[in-house]
Amino acid sequence: MAQETLLEVREVDVFYGGIQALWDVGLQVREGEIVALIGANGSGKSTLLDAISGLIRPAKGKIYFQGEDITDLDPFKIVSLGVSQVPEGRRIFPELSVLDNLMLGSYNRSARPKKGQNLEMVYELFPVLKERRKQTAKTLSGGQQQMLALGRGLMSSPKLMLIDEMSLGLAPIVINEVYKALREMRQKGITILFVEQSVRRSLDEADRAYIMEAGRIVLQGNSQDLCEEEEVKKAYFGICD
Amino acid sequence: MSGLATPIIMGFLLGGLYALIALGLSLVFGVMKLINLAHGDLVLLSTYTAYVVMTKLGLDPLLSLVFSIPLLFVIGFVLQRYVLKRASLISMEAPLIITFGLSLVLQNLFQIIWSPMSRGLQASYATSSFGLFGASVPLVYLFDFVIALVVMLFLHLFLQHTYLGKAINAASQDRRAAQLMGIDTNHVYALAFAIALTTAAVAGVFLGLTFPFTPQSGVSFLIIAFGVIIIGGLGSMLGTFIGGIILGLAQTLGGHFFGAAAQMLVVYGIVLFVLAIRPKGIFGR
Amino acid sequence: MKDFISRARGGLALLSAIVLLAVLPLLGLPRDWILYFFLFYIYLAMANMWNLLAGYSGLMSLCQPAFIGLAGYTLVIITWSGLSFYLGIICGAVMAAIFAVLISIPVFRLSGIYFAIGTLVIPEALRIVFFLWRPVGGKLQGGGAGYMIKGVGGVSMSQLYWFAFVLAAASVIIMRLILRSRLGLGLSSIRDNDRAAACCGIAVFKLKLYSFIISAFVTGLAGSVFYVYQQFIEPATAFNIKWTMIVILATVIGGMGIEEGPFVGTIIVVFLHFLLAKYAGVSLLIQGAILVIIMLIAPQGIMGYLRGTRAYRFVLRHATGNGLIKADIGN
Repeated sequence: MAQETLLEVREVDVFYGGIQALWDVGLQVREGEIVALIGANGSGKSTLLDAISGLIRPAKGKIYFQGEDITDLDPFKIVSLGVSQVPEGRRIFPELSVLDNLMLGSYNRSARPKKGQNLEMVYELFPVLKERRKQTAKTLSGGQQQMLALGRGLMSSPKLMLIDEMSLGLAPIVINEVYKALREMRQKGITILFVEQSVRRSLDEADRAYIMEAGRIVLQGNSQDLCEEEEVKKAYFGICD
Repeated sequence: MSGLATPIIMGFLLGGLYALIALGLSLVFGVMKLINLAHGDLVLLSTYTAYVVMTKLGLDPLLSLVFSIPLLFVIGFVLQRYVLKRASLISMEAPLIITFGLSLVLQNLFQIIWSPMSRGLQASYATSSFGLFGASVPLVYLFDFVIALVVMLFLHLFLQHTYLGKAINAASQDRRAAQLMGIDTNHVYALAFAIALTTAAVAGVFLGLTFPFTPQSGVSFLIIAFGVIIIGGLGSMLGTFIGGIILGLAQTLGGHFFGAAAQMLVVYGIVLFVLAIRPKGIFGR
Repeated sequence: MKDFISRARGGLALLSAIVLLAVLPLLGLPRDWILYFFLFYIYLAMANMWNLLAGYSGLMSLCQPAFIGLAGYTLVIITWSGLSFYLGIICGAVMAAIFAVLISIPVFRLSGIYFAIGTLVIPEALRIVFFLWRPVGGKLQGGGAGYMIKGVGGVSMSQLYWFAFVLAAASVIIMRLILRSRLGLGLSSIRDNDRAAACCGIAVFKLKLYSFIISAFVTGLAGSVFYVYQQFIEPATAFNIKWTMIVILATVIGGMGIEEGPFVGTIIVVFLHFLLAKYAGVSLLIQGAILVIIMLIAPQGIMGYLRGTRAYRFVLRHATGNGLIKADIGN
């Protein structure tokens, strides 16, 4: 069964002021995949996600979602088309309740009709959010906040979820929970592109991966193949076993 | 000390009105980190609109709100959406300079149309007084206080319990996250600004009923609004309320001890004093 | 060699221009012309000083009228005490500078944006103060709280012209000196990024204070000289926001944060005043409207435009090789 290409990034350059952050970056994500974007700090991963989400406009290149050119669209329009980003550091609204945080995830016109439905799905995936729905978001633990951030991202009925640095600052047990949720999300038909620093974890969880360094994609391929890549082994010290 | 009862009660009641003036400025600043230097003049616009309704149509000035609330709503929306949003992309000072220009345009406009003469709004119910604790207080002050409470309550409920209100809240806490969730922040900011100016519209009419005004009054309104925010802090209705009361009392007690001509001086003095002693971290939540 | 010749030519042109301006009053031109030049010099000095604050130090100061009015009233006190008006001019500037130090305490606690309103309060407060306070005895002239300046009746327009000319030249030289000095370097870094500069050990407060004091002093000088010319001062016009409008408009039109900006802008503002002389009622309205329009379509000013400076600091448009960034203000 041929999988449809959901997201395509083509030859994208991004500048911050006079400084180039992305060089000729290209990637693809097919429907139903879980793809990892791996790289150290400063390699440009977050910048790439921001470009896809419309927070930054590329100086060169194009970005397509479901065949449509989204390169120059406003962020909220891109969300309405079905691309949702869970930003780095979670960035939930600390003063609002858990429920309010989630409900705001459906603020977008196109997502509003499905509010109730999506909320049920989120509660199913993350029961703890249902328990604590009246609490102020800042009272949640790190892991719970991450789940809230993911849940909020799901409220906009995304077809593609971009997740930035999911496991930052979380305990290993919690990270497991979160990745488990990712798999369940995939089962519900959501495609995922996530950003990670940890190579091993990424290659375990993802079907495919792109490795970035200093604003460029330096390696890409199936997780399996990458594990066996000499360079990956060399650079990341044989973590795949 | 019996002479003090009147200024104290009046100052307290006046404080509500001052909080109301500051409400719009506080909302705009809290959400968009913008100081609108024309805020006071826009409040005055509502006052002059009421004046027109009163003199040309012979109607109660309060009825002008039917017209001035939508007017200021539209002005606020357009100003933020098409002018100030652009300005904030230019530099930090651009919105200040533009609103400064706007302020002078309005002041001059008022002067051309209505001359520098001091004017006032009259309504039959506003002139009588009532007695409280041995003090004789103009009824209009009580109205000011009540309307301020009503508007603040409305706004509070709006921000806490409606979808749009929560979106405004969210966008002010974290703009980036709001955008990522599909909130059209440009649109939401414009609505917030529009709402802020409708509170200014209400404030304007009641100010006109309480004090005489001239084309230059806008500056004092701005300073009062700013003073309230500094004293009361941002993001808290209660703080704004308290700030208003403190400045209201400053004005009435200042007038009582130093004479009517100097009362604004006391207010300005307190604003500067608070600026001098408040540590830098007063702003932000 | 070519470079040397073109530089020498430029220098010669500048020198001849200066000489020409210096002898202008002797050329028998109509008094009105001299007056406009006079105003040009006064406004130029003030605009340069505002540029120093807003364009270079990140201090959007709205209290210039305070310095002007204070200097004027100091002039009143000095001349009414029988002393020479020269002393009055100097003292006026000194008073303004001292005042600047005093108000820096409340007002410097605020960062750029709040600083603006903080400084707005001050001229308003002073206006009331001088409305109520009679600094010198005797009766008032005119209806309001105004005073005549004594002992300046004999000053000729030419003398005034030269005072102002020297003042304007001095303001230009001061700006050049500051910008080329360590103070200037520190200021640019503060303008670009307040907190980062502080972390690099730059004494942010001190530098801002120095700019503020210098600005107050020279603005005070300009104010004093102006009042020697006008011979009459009253609170409503001395502490009036129209002074602020003049300096902001001149600096913005010319180019904020650019050395030549105020010069170019002041020429235009004086010309504008000349055109609007018959329409005094709408003068501020027109100036305000122009200010808004310029800020929206050409915020970098004339000099900025000529230099190809980006209009948008936060959004880069159509600059070759640069991307469009929808930046995150305040986050």
